[in-house]
Amino acid sequence: MGLLAGKRIFSIMALCMMVGLLLLPIVVALPSPATGEEAPVAGEEAKKEGDKVEKGRDVYYKTEGIVVGAPAPKTTDGPKDYPRYNFESRVLIWFANQQHLYYGSFVLAVPIFCMIIEFMGVVTKDKALAKRYDQLAYDFIKISLTAYSLTAILGGILIFTFLTLYPAFFSYLSGIFRPVMHIYALMFVAESGTLYIYYYGWDKMREGFLKWIHLSMSVVLNVIGTLLMFLANSWIGFMMSPAGVDEQGRYLGNIWHVIHTALWNPLNLHRILGNMAFGGGVVAAYAAYKFLASKTDEDRAHYDWMGYIAMALGVAFLIPLPFAGYWLMREVYAYRQQMGITLMGGLLAWLFIIQATMIGILFLSTNYYLWQAMGRMRGAEKYQRYIKYLVFLLACGYMVFITPHTMVMTPAELKAMGGQQHPVLGNYGVMSAKNGGINVIITTTVLSFVWYMRGNKVSTVSWAKFGNIFMGVFFTCAYINIIWLAIYGYYIPANVRVGLSVPQVATTLSCLFFMFALNSVMMRGAKQMGPIEWGKISARSQYALIMLATAFTWMMGLMGYIRSSVRLFWHVNEIMRDNSPWAYTHTVGFAANMISANVLFFWISILFVFWLGSLTAKKAPVESKAGIPGSVPQPATSH
Amino acid sequence: MKALMSLGALIGVAGLLLLGGMTFDIVPSTTIRLVEGYMPMQLLFEVSCYVMGFAGLSYILNAMGMGIPRFWQGIGFWVFFLLYLKYRVYPPIPFSVRAMYGTVGLVAVFMWISANEDDWKKFKQPIMNVLDAQTGVNKLLRYAYLVLLPILIGGFSFNAMMPKSEEPIELRTVHPAPPASTKVHGKTYTLQTSQNPYRVNPEGKYDQEYSNSNIVEQGMGRLMKPNANPWDENSQGYLKYVREGGEIFFQNCHFCHGDNLNGRGLHAFAFNPIPANFTDPGTIAQLQETFIFWRVAKGGIGLPNEGFPWASVMPPWEQHLTVDEIWKVILFEYWHTGYYPRTWD
Repeated sequence: MGLLAGKRIFSIMALCMMVGLLLLPIVVALPSPATGEEAPVAGEEAKKEGDKVEKGRDVYYKTEGIVVGAPAPKTTDGPKDYPRYNFESRVLIWFANQQHLYYGSFVLAVPIFCMIIEFMGVVTKDKALAKRYDQLAYDFIKISLTAYSLTAILGGILIFTFLTLYPAFFSYLSGIFRPVMHIYALMFVAESGTLYIYYYGWDKMREGFLKWIHLSMSVVLNVIGTLLMFLANSWIGFMMSPAGVDEQGRYLGNIWHVIHTALWNPLNLHRILGNMAFGGGVVAAYAAYKFLASKTDEDRAHYDWMGYIAMALGVAFLIPLPFAGYWLMREVYAYRQQMGITLMGGLLAWLFIIQATMIGILFLSTNYYLWQAMGRMRGAEKYQRYIKYLVFLLACGYMVFITPHTMVMTPAELKAMGGQQHPVLGNYGVMSAKNGGINVIITTTVLSFVWYMRGNKVSTVSWAKFGNIFMGVFFTCAYINIIWLAIYGYYIPANVRVGLSVPQVATTLSCLFFMFALNSVMMRGAKQMGPIEWGKISARSQYALIMLATAFTWMMGLMGYIRSSVRLFWHVNEIMRDNSPWAYTHTVGFAANMISANVLFFWISILFVFWLGSLTAKKAPVESKAGIPGSVPQPATSH
Repeated sequence: MKALMSLGALIGVAGLLLLGGMTFDIVPSTTIRLVEGYMPMQLLFEVSCYVMGFAGLSYILNAMGMGIPRFWQGIGFWVFFLLYLKYRVYPPIPFSVRAMYGTVGLVAVFMWISANEDDWKKFKQPIMNVLDAQTGVNKLLRYAYLVLLPILIGGFSFNAMMPKSEEPIELRTVHPAPPASTKVHGKTYTLQTSQNPYRVNPEGKYDQEYSNSNIVEQGMGRLMKPNANPWDENSQGYLKYVREGGEIFFQNCHFCHGDNLNGRGLHAFAFNPIPANFTDPGTIAQLQETFIFWRVAKGGIGLPNEGFPWASVMPPWEQHLTVDEIWKVILFEYWHTGYYPRTWD
């Protein structure tokens, strides 16, 4: 035990040292912009010349600062500001951005998975299981390695696209974020270095103290990756809700203000969760594809298990995602009312209906997969007859959740309806009901998970009957509370109503945490009705996983478009106007086609990445086959 | 259990008869009234009853050895749901939303009938039988599909390609995004931060809470709060302004927006769409007072581009009312409907 603790301390020290070394260039680079060192210098020079020091007022923080930057350029349509090919520049930049983002999200998410899975492997006492987890983590990182190179290539393409098609805008943005962009580049180098050591050092650092060092490296890798993403988020945050500049867009010397805009933090949280859910979806789809293509029972068992783990991790991050989304939207509303209304009540409202549809598909697919997965356990039959009621709850929640407030209809239908507001749809179409709808969906997903977890088990604790009744009552009360709060929301002021989402979320999360915990306690030492027969799952379940991944990809494309287009005709909201011929909002149909094209390209290219991964697998020795899951009944996480 | 299922079966049969009657216009569609204000929950409750009813019916029929095949159960439930949406819900739901609900219904039926392998096999069986065609009936069906399917696809294609002179489908923006500021009677108002100057407490200071406490209780009926009667000649401050707003409303607005502010005024049905229904929780209850101020002041023609196609005939009231009058009317609209304007604190 003492030896283990010592190893951990050593690994932590090594980790700290490594972090220190990796971040050293950044720390050295920081003081100058962070303290606004340049500003006084600029000021001094101005004083020497006998000029007056010009001060500006921060558009967001309302603080005064010395102007140290040039105003945002006033662009005109022409080859100087908007050089172009014989094609819509915006579509090109959209494509380059989206593909970079897809790959970026994937390669940021997968190392987090690896970290979790590798850690599970290290701490588990079952040696066979530990080996399986280790192999799985290795498989994951292997997939992401080629994707990492592609991310870098796509990043390069993106910068070239900016430079060639939007030079004025890019020059302004890089002027503001000059120090950040250098730090970003340095961190990218640090990320690459860590990733390669992490991947290539896997075999060398397989045992004992070195394994802990290896695991610690995944922590470093993820810290760097997350910081990278935060920095990139600061650019889009600045474009939506600029700060640290005056009305003319002149930099006021405080880089933290420029980074820490009104929407930065909600964007950061939303992206972390989104990346994780997306990464889980992609890996699950990979496993599903391999499962469907498998020729042997052993392979099927392995990929079934892999798909399940990836799906579970993805869904674990999907569940809090809508709440992070609400926070982001709340901050958008608080920042600019018209931006919030454009998003959710106005011009882009229909895109949010499509988004709700996609979220619903994600949860429905997850539930469906879990019900299918119960088919591979003996004893889960007892839950089958209740599934139709879960379907009913999900469908009702889903229908309320996707009800549009802005209706598509003919004038005759409008007249027949008696005005824009329908006595049913009008109520379903607003947030109070929608909050209820999504919480019902999530709570039902939690219930499906609980059923799955106890599928092949019968609790042997003396208070099992009481525990079951308690769980039943808890879920029933949760549903009643969620639905009641949704109705009550119509009778209170709007600002209080928005706050009702908190008790609703709390109810849902209570179900998640308390019921999972209680269920785990109840199932400790439970009687097994039979092992989980990995690999004996319907093909439909694997299509559900593919559906899950596709829906994730499509939704990310959609949400990126919504977030970006809410600026309407601004490059930087209210600071730098877009004067190109494309400063208009696309039709819903065009946007949907464009998103679909991006999704299609991503999946075709990621198939190529998977194929490359399979090439290396063929060369690998038989050792990679070690620890076939069929030999061990179940993973530690699932039960 | 059996008794419960029998009860469910009875409800199911009664419900089916009712819906059948409504579909064929034998039973008036108002037999079980849909109550305005309760309709959203009433509909969900009704569909829940149907589901329980069908479960009971299925259980009883199975017990009697007359179980309905899973294939027909699935299709039957979906058809029921489509008919329910079309014939039960009044005012009618636009086709676009019925299509969305119908698709969700179809997905739900698929999830139900394929949740486990046995059910899925049972569901697939009739389809496989036709594809395999071992019997005469199945062979006949297969040939019928062979002929009918191309005709159907051809028909759909023809219909899709044929030029039509139908009225265009419109995507109406319910709440067009307001500008950051608006100029009314020469003064600029920042919509994010402006406040209704008449939402005041007895000391004459802006007080949202005070005015909220005087707003009618909406609850399950609309009641005037004790001692909160703006029509009382002695009412002062906030309530006095509500009365003044009410007078302006009834002089100018009620012809279209109606006595009850529900958009069903004397002239309302001369317009398409009819004027906004302020009693609906999706209208003024969702918005800041400044949004209403902007809309009232600028009217239909003052909407930004994203607000079109709108065809709102509301005049720009800034040409007829003073700024103070507009604020008072808004105060009255919130008071009368029992809603509170959205605020950010």
